[in-house]
Amino acid sequence: MAAQALYRKWRPRTFDEVVGQEHVVRTLRNALTSGRIHHAYLFAGPRGTGKTTMARLLAKAVNCLAPEDQRPCNECAICQAVNEGRLLDLIEIDAASNTGVDDVRELRERVGFRPNEARYKVYVIDEVHMLSNAAFNALLKTLEEPPPHAIFVLATTEPHKIPATVLSRCQRHDFRRIPVSEIVARLEWLTEQEHIRADREALTLIAHQATGSMRDAESLLDQLASYDEQGITVAEVRAALGIGTGETVIQVTDALVKSDVAQGLGAINTAVDEGADPRQFARQMVEHLRALLLLRLKSGVVPAYVSEDLRPRLEAQAAAFSPRALARAVRLFSQAAAEAKGGWQPQLPLEMAFIEAVLPPEPKSPAPGRKSASVSTRTPSPARRSRSSPTPTRAAPAHPVSRPPSSPQPKAVREPAPAYESLAPSVGSLTPEVLRSRWPELLNALRPRNLSLEALMRSCEPVAVEGDVVVLGFAHNFHRSKVEEEHNKQIVEDVLSSLIGQRYRVRCVLARRERTATASHRSKSEPVGGKVTSSVEQIIAEDPVVRAAVEDLGAQIVQRHE
Amino acid sequence: METNGNWGIVGHEWAVALLRRAVARGTISHAYLLTGPPGVGKTTLARALAAALLCQGEGEPPCGACRACRLVAGGNHPDLHVVASERVGASLKIDQVRELQRQLALTPNEGRWRVAILRRFEEATTSAANALLKTLEEPPPYVVLAVLASDADRLLPTIVSRCQQVPLRPLPVAVVQQALIERWHAEPEQAELLAHLSGGRLGWAVRTLNDRTALRRRAQRLADLDHLLNISIIERFRYAERLARDPVATQETLDLWIGWWRDVMLVAAETDAPLTNVDRESALRDYAHRFGVERSAAVVEALRSAAERLKRNANPRLTLEVLMLDLPRP
Repeated sequence: MAAQALYRKWRPRTFDEVVGQEHVVRTLRNALTSGRIHHAYLFAGPRGTGKTTMARLLAKAVNCLAPEDQRPCNECAICQAVNEGRLLDLIEIDAASNTGVDDVRELRERVGFRPNEARYKVYVIDEVHMLSNAAFNALLKTLEEPPPHAIFVLATTEPHKIPATVLSRCQRHDFRRIPVSEIVARLEWLTEQEHIRADREALTLIAHQATGSMRDAESLLDQLASYDEQGITVAEVRAALGIGTGETVIQVTDALVKSDVAQGLGAINTAVDEGADPRQFARQMVEHLRALLLLRLKSGVVPAYVSEDLRPRLEAQAAAFSPRALARAVRLFSQAAAEAKGGWQPQLPLEMAFIEAVLPPEPKSPAPGRKSASVSTRTPSPARRSRSSPTPTRAAPAHPVSRPPSSPQPKAVREPAPAYESLAPSVGSLTPEVLRSRWPELLNALRPRNLSLEALMRSCEPVAVEGDVVVLGFAHNFHRSKVEEEHNKQIVEDVLSSLIGQRYRVRCVLARRERTATASHRSKSEPVGGKVTSSVEQIIAEDPVVRAAVEDLGAQIVQRHE
Repeated sequence: METNGNWGIVGHEWAVALLRRAVARGTISHAYLLTGPPGVGKTTLARALAAALLCQGEGEPPCGACRACRLVAGGNHPDLHVVASERVGASLKIDQVRELQRQLALTPNEGRWRVAILRRFEEATTSAANALLKTLEEPPPYVVLAVLASDADRLLPTIVSRCQQVPLRPLPVAVVQQALIERWHAEPEQAELLAHLSGGRLGWAVRTLNDRTALRRRAQRLADLDHLLNISIIERFRYAERLARDPVATQETLDLWIGWWRDVMLVAAETDAPLTNVDRESALRDYAHRFGVERSAAVVEALRSAAERLKRNANPRLTLEVLMLDLPRP
């Protein structure tokens, strides 16, 4: 016979024993004493918060033979039958394995029969979110008007999967995650009952780990209790959970301060070799770095675990970082915590997070989307650039001398200017990039004034700003001439000026749809689709597509068509 | 090794001690969750647990000699149920779980227990995982379930919270090496290399030991990698197209390359963390010199995201082509 797990053995048998769900208990109790028992309940909440327990308690309480205010009494025949799992009128249905409409039909047929021994037939439908749609619909009528002797209790961890028509027929109770202090109190009580010796600190660690789920906490306690008779110590909990020592975390952070890759990777590997679970370690790093961030920002909020003797050390570390670098490191490590999944080199995500945190941020990836970063972002561009081609002679023609000072950096020849640079220009100077980023606003403002004009403007983009003239590049001559018409142009200029807050005029040119400084250059020096009489090198330098084809794919220019 | 008694398990001492004590004291839990990377020893440990429970011999179970022990070893014990998806990468279906539930509802044929081993449970469909929940919480009193998975985070939290968790971590390299020599009679040199390459996964090391072509394949793939760095994108794309046709080879290749570039990164960072490809240190140094920490880290990242995308059913050829663009250019 398997020993009963703690969470089954000590499943609460009275409302008072239920931890952390006072709001539900109070409502149900009041309903019981006043005799206003609803015919359908929905218990929703995270795992291990007491849904099934509460459902059974309710079944006991409505059927208990004791006076109303003492229910459940746990002494009468009914209560005992429920406790031993043999009350015929408590019907527990595992909706996850009986998902189909046929199962519900069978249930409906039986609901009509009167209870065997108790007052009410209580149907507990657990994991109800797994019912099929047809099954839910088949349940609707029964759920709305069940026979007077039937009570339904639906329990689920995922209430969002339940159709609104079912939700509206149930009295809904949301179960909360249980606070650490209450879990600890319950664990202490349990250890007394079971004669398990355990440090309070160890229990706190277990409770912390359980993230609000009592069952998680009790499972863990169970496991640790069966491991060693000597009692449960913090060291053991750490070992079982793979929690590294705080010291290693501080070491890794020190390495981060000094940008010492060798020391950092060494410390990470030592920790993992000594049994630290990489994901736990990543979480610890996140927690530590967050504490540093809070200290650095002098927020006054200091996480509870930072003890007084640690504090000076942490403050020294915090001072060595900029808040931005800290925020970035927190993000990288929390990403690593999410990524560390079942690879055969479990420490790799940690190592990558560390290296990325040490390296200076790549100028182009301000977003957390390390994974979704484009090809060119991830290839180590600085090295490649310095080694390979953009020689001054080739790059030079792309930068007209007359360009306004705030126009894109030389890099933009290869790639569209990154968004963050467009935020840089000093106040008052307008660049095509800024305009481009505000283009949707412009279109929105145009729409009410002239619908077809908005459509026309969709086919162009700002290519340059010359003093108070905005140059718009069009792909087709037809669009260009339409916008060029005096009344249309007037509207565009008005809207544009009111958007920017300064008077601008508009000039329309014909340009190929290229989003780079090249386009602006060309349209300026050779207006309206002028011929480009340049050498092959110049084409390569100017056109990023051609250039990639030639340099990366080994293409050759054979012939040109205008 | 002796510390594990007659369970015949290499390493994982604390896990074995936990289960042994539970069996001896009769405090066995109804559900265990064994986690760890593939080949680390989850199934072996689960089978040993089954044998210990089902053993009918004298002395400390498993005796290894009685009928029950032999049936377990042969995979024929009527009270031992092993459920897994059809093959690696397929999914474990709800019908399989239902069938298991039907069988578990019957009292044991021979002894006191029915043991169910659910392998690679991360491959279970959502409905299959949900269907197991109630059984996992309150099975019949004679049932012990062992759920195996590469990582608890790949399972439903409701599954995890119903089990006692036994996370198996990769073994120390020295333990794998010794076991290969003593139990599987490997040549010392080969044992050392395999132990390092295995990253602590004994099961993987033993499989590779028995697979004569495995090391040759490794050499070939590392040579491919070297070659790829010196050829044009077009030729790389051709390689990607060929490789993408074989998903198993793709996976193996990516794993190998990740290990390789991680080594390059470690060497470049001049840390003392242990390397995987110990037999190729000079080549690693050469790479480290050529690429440095930053670029090798970028390659590791590219390889990892490619592997991750493939796990999520991305188009293999497209993924590999993107990877080819990310590898350092000549």
